[in-house]
Amino acid sequence: MPEETILSDDFLRELMNVGEVDLLVGVPTYNDARTVGQVVQAIRTGLLKYFPRQRAAIINADGGSKDNTQELVRAASISDMQHADNMYALRTLHCISTRYAGIPSSGTALHTIMAASDLLRASACAVISPDSTSITPEWIQTLLQPVVRESNDWVTPVYRRQKFEGLLIRNVLYPMNRAVYSSRVREPYPSDFAFSGRFASHVAGLDSWSQEAARTGAEMYLTIAAITGKFRIVQTYLGPKSRTEGAPADLVAAMRRSVGTLFWSLDSTFAIWSNNSHSEPVTTIGPENEVDPEPLRFNRKRLHDMFSRGVGELEPVLKSILTPATLSQVQQIASSPEGELLYNDELWARTVYEFAAAYHKSVISRDHIVQALAPLYRGRTYTFLVENRDNAPEALESNIEDLCLAFERSKPYLLDMWNGRK
Amino acid sequence: MALPQDALWYKDAVIYQVHVRAFYDSSGDGRGDFRGLAQKLDYLQDLGINAIWLMPFFPSPLRDDGYDIADYQTVHPSYGTLEDFKSFLDAAHQRGIRVIIEMVLNHTSDQHPWFQESRSSGDNPKRNWYVWSDTDNKYRGTRIIFLDTELSNWAWDPVSKQYYWHRFFSHQPDLNYDNPAVREAMWNVMKFWLDMGIDGFRLDAVPYLVEREGTNCENLPETHVIIQDLRRRLDTEYPGRMLLAEANQWPADLGPYFGTGNEFHMAFNFPLMPRMFMGLKLEDRKPITEILQQTPAIPEICQWCLFLRNHDELTLEMVTDIERDYMYDEYAKDRSMRLNLGIRRRLAPLLDNDRRRIELMNGMLMSLPGTPIVYYGDEIGMGDNVNLGDRNGVRTPMQWDGGWNGGFSSADPESLYSPLMLNPVYGFQAVNVQSQKRFDHSLLSWMKRIIRVRKSLAVFGRGSIEFLYPANHRVLAYVRQYGKDAILVVNNLSSSAQAVELDLRRYKGNILIEMFGRNIFPRIGDLPYLLTMGPYQFYWFRLRKI
Repeated sequence: MPEETILSDDFLRELMNVGEVDLLVGVPTYNDARTVGQVVQAIRTGLLKYFPRQRAAIINADGGSKDNTQELVRAASISDMQHADNMYALRTLHCISTRYAGIPSSGTALHTIMAASDLLRASACAVISPDSTSITPEWIQTLLQPVVRESNDWVTPVYRRQKFEGLLIRNVLYPMNRAVYSSRVREPYPSDFAFSGRFASHVAGLDSWSQEAARTGAEMYLTIAAITGKFRIVQTYLGPKSRTEGAPADLVAAMRRSVGTLFWSLDSTFAIWSNNSHSEPVTTIGPENEVDPEPLRFNRKRLHDMFSRGVGELEPVLKSILTPATLSQVQQIASSPEGELLYNDELWARTVYEFAAAYHKSVISRDHIVQALAPLYRGRTYTFLVENRDNAPEALESNIEDLCLAFERSKPYLLDMWNGRK
Repeated sequence: MALPQDALWYKDAVIYQVHVRAFYDSSGDGRGDFRGLAQKLDYLQDLGINAIWLMPFFPSPLRDDGYDIADYQTVHPSYGTLEDFKSFLDAAHQRGIRVIIEMVLNHTSDQHPWFQESRSSGDNPKRNWYVWSDTDNKYRGTRIIFLDTELSNWAWDPVSKQYYWHRFFSHQPDLNYDNPAVREAMWNVMKFWLDMGIDGFRLDAVPYLVEREGTNCENLPETHVIIQDLRRRLDTEYPGRMLLAEANQWPADLGPYFGTGNEFHMAFNFPLMPRMFMGLKLEDRKPITEILQQTPAIPEICQWCLFLRNHDELTLEMVTDIERDYMYDEYAKDRSMRLNLGIRRRLAPLLDNDRRRIELMNGMLMSLPGTPIVYYGDEIGMGDNVNLGDRNGVRTPMQWDGGWNGGFSSADPESLYSPLMLNPVYGFQAVNVQSQKRFDHSLLSWMKRIIRVRKSLAVFGRGSIEFLYPANHRVLAYVRQYGKDAILVVNNLSSSAQAVELDLRRYKGNILIEMFGRNIFPRIGDLPYLLTMGPYQFYWFRLRKI
């Protein structure tokens, strides 16, 4: 049983005190003292306001924070002696925190939360990212209600995004996941989501948690598990999503967690995705996509340079991953001047699929394959930014749809590559 | 048996609340009477109670079950005579059972001669014994208590062509306590019964005695002055007698009714009762600990009165809107069970006739700080009949056996004051004293045991309380201490088995002795004391340092 190893005795004792719950909200953290207090307060308010009668708990799975993240979570408890300001609580609300073993990892954190949810027999569980400072109490209702009321199993968010936010999702994860798994989940790598007790039981017992890809990209893995397990999926609109200020995004790390996990999943789910044809829409509560027309600023020249330089430097690696035809086209556009770089949808879909097939065949180290996609992704991003620079949200959405259709059209190509026919 | 001469007897009491009319009919007229009640004193003595609280038994048109009194100084003819009452009182005292009677201070029946005189003309000497007004606009900040039946606290009197003030039904005009003659008259009424030998009064509707413009006309300082005056007279002329307040108020407003020990000896803890039911349904001790934290400390000689059910609806006046909605949804899904701001049901039906929950609730009733009151029939798990209207559904005849009229009366069933319970679950053939006396494990036998254990130690009635707050919120645990005696009470409010760790380090070295079976549990050490508890189970442990 996985929970026998993942849950410490102290944590089990705390779970014993929580007892059976109706609702659980998990917060995976690692040194998040700057934001977690605000997030947990909003969660608590949401629980008290929208689910005042349900038995609920907030569970923090922490990766070993050195700040007072865990104390901030625990402080939100409502008990005999602790009360909520300006809110009446009918019940006790346990806010417990556990430090899981090993290095900080969202996978271990989520596995801990799901195992706890399973043990506490929560009928619905939400997970909120500790840096979701744009959270309002309504998020809790919006995420949990589809599980509580409509018996959905996996609830992914739809955010109001800034125009050029979520580029990795828009250019790789959404289109490829949609094409491969035939499900139009807009945020397949969610940081705020909800799931049913049924789904938690299913996932908590899976063996895949022991694998690196499931641990590092657990959010992606869970979405795929929900789709391939034929669980009831719904998307729900949450509103604006805050962005972490300050810290520069580590693209390669992000790709390992998301794209790497997506590639990894294809091996074990081949029988499922190879037989899928058209993608199916996913029921969405609220707007399906909302875009803030104010674009984020990007240094396009830098993107161009990194793309061109990366393609040049990684030529030996790319040769082992891409077909000659694709590599040639990529090299050709990499050599084009900044204003003329065009990494079109068809070529990009083919590129990604060739990487996926190479990953499957492990032509080189799988991690190197994912890393090698990063400079090419920058080229694609450059095109995306240029193409949509002056586009209204509707046109932007239309372009994303075109890209998705390109991935869907090219899916037979992936199968050919996968089966070694190309 | 002589009554123990302890001025604080009420702190150790276990009170049985009964309506004469509902208990036993000795005359065969379909209504219980004092001779009947006297015949059943052996039963009450055997049950273990040591005080009886009698609901109103005075002459009355009975439009509010006797709380509309038409004559304070005799007995309603249906219940017998003053001699019958005296005989009953003596018999009770001989068995060591004290008698508390009802005193409705706030209002009379509109049939009372005082009111008849008062309304007869504007210049009648008793005109000022009630609260009259040319307008119904006075005291507009005052809430209406009987929301289901009354639209105003004023009623028009077509005889004297003025409005009169009433906090309850319009046929119950409020007495005017600003009039010294009224205060004197009511003291004389009390003296009448005290001289006869009664042991205490339950004073009805205390917060409403005085009206003042610009207030909510409840808990006013002038009311407390009146109570203090009554108390002073009582202590001077009748030491050892007791005053019990019916003041359905929030904790902060309840405290003043004890004063500095110079007002009431006891007061009902109204806010606690619904929260015990709430805590049980929520499987969470928070409502109980929260309200007890807000409950004011009271003078050493004073005492709370605890109850689970009584003759009225389970009042939800002293809860928040969220709590009230929850209680209605959980305990009165059928709207016919709701009355005013409450739920008109008996204990057993409220708890789905679940013996474990009935025992747990009685366990808390008997072990939380205060004097417990058992409502007649709840000791055998009697049911209710919501079809009877008003609160009559919880006032049906006592069920003595499975025979004619449940052993209550030899009259024709049609002539009983109220239909008997007849349904297969709660009917008198299924639930009655005779059948439960036959088995050691019946609810009645269990009630006898718990009362006996409660009475075995003064700590239950007089001890301090310290909550333990274990991390498992489904478990309510506390230590009661009085002198050298200490008991640990652990209640599992949950429908499932629970493990709980108790921090008992300050009692290190004590062994635990379970008070019902007298079995010994492990000695308390440095580690948290682990207990496992079955669904709705509770433990009473005596802490002994041996």
